[in-house]
Amino acid sequence: MKKSLSIFVTLFFVLSLVALGTNKPTKTQAMPDDVKEVIQNSCFGCHNTDSRNEDGKKELDFNKLDSLSKIKMISTYKEIGEVLEKNEMPPKKFLERFPDKALSDDHKQLLLDWSKKEAEALVKGM
Amino acid sequence: MRRILRFVIIILLLAFIVIQFFQPEKNNEGVSSNHIFNQVEVPENIQTLLSTSCLDCHSNHTGYWWYNHIAPVSWMVADHISEGKSELNFSEWGSMDIFEKITILEKICQETERKSMPLKSYRAIHTKAKLNDEQIAELCDWTTKLAEELLANAAGD
Repeated sequence: MKKSLSIFVTLFFVLSLVALGTNKPTKTQAMPDDVKEVIQNSCFGCHNTDSRNEDGKKELDFNKLDSLSKIKMISTYKEIGEVLEKNEMPPKKFLERFPDKALSDDHKQLLLDWSKKEAEALVKGM
Repeated sequence: MRRILRFVIIILLLAFIVIQFFQPEKNNEGVSSNHIFNQVEVPENIQTLLSTSCLDCHSNHTGYWWYNHIAPVSWMVADHISEGKSELNFSEWGSMDIFEKITILEKICQETERKSMPLKSYRAIHTKAKLNDEQIAELCDWTTKLAEELLANAAGD
């Protein structure tokens, strides 16, 4: 009886440890508010699930960002950084029509830092 | 009229000869230690695939054909090569960081799946370079596997 109880307790202990290990969410922090605001204003119009801009949606859909595989997420963050650095996004033609959607230098830097940090966190497995 | 025509042909011929003296630099360095084939173990079928379909423009070594040396074709080819290398240079694999590597691998799969790579003009001449669906699937399997490996190794550091 004692023996079976100790087995039971050990088993319980081991299982709860396993459960603790597997339940750890891979990514907890949501997008910071300031980043969200900039994306909402300058990017989200085309890069969302209901976007009519098929190319934009295909390249990046902010609604689905969290459901991508880790590898796809890393490359997405990296590419966000690249297009911003090359000033390819938001597109010039789009900005001619909507000049208020342009990114200020500060906003651009905010997004650059954010995308870099996110990619680094993913690579380090945080 | 015939004299004008003859004149024009002679001028064109002369121009053709003159432009031959303006040749772009050739892309034919040897295989460096930074080359992907020296950095990671690439399966043989993938090595062959990369060599026939990608490396002419995406490495420091182009397999030239005789007509590639004749201007203005040589100019166009040099242009494609420099553009290709600026996007991805397999000869520089060793000097890329993990973010670049994972992104590049992901893009390789994406671009071939969308059939935007190899370039249409390249496919038209180098018929062997054309990738069929099976080859694209093989390539994507390899890029995903390598990216996951890189990620697993980096997380362990």
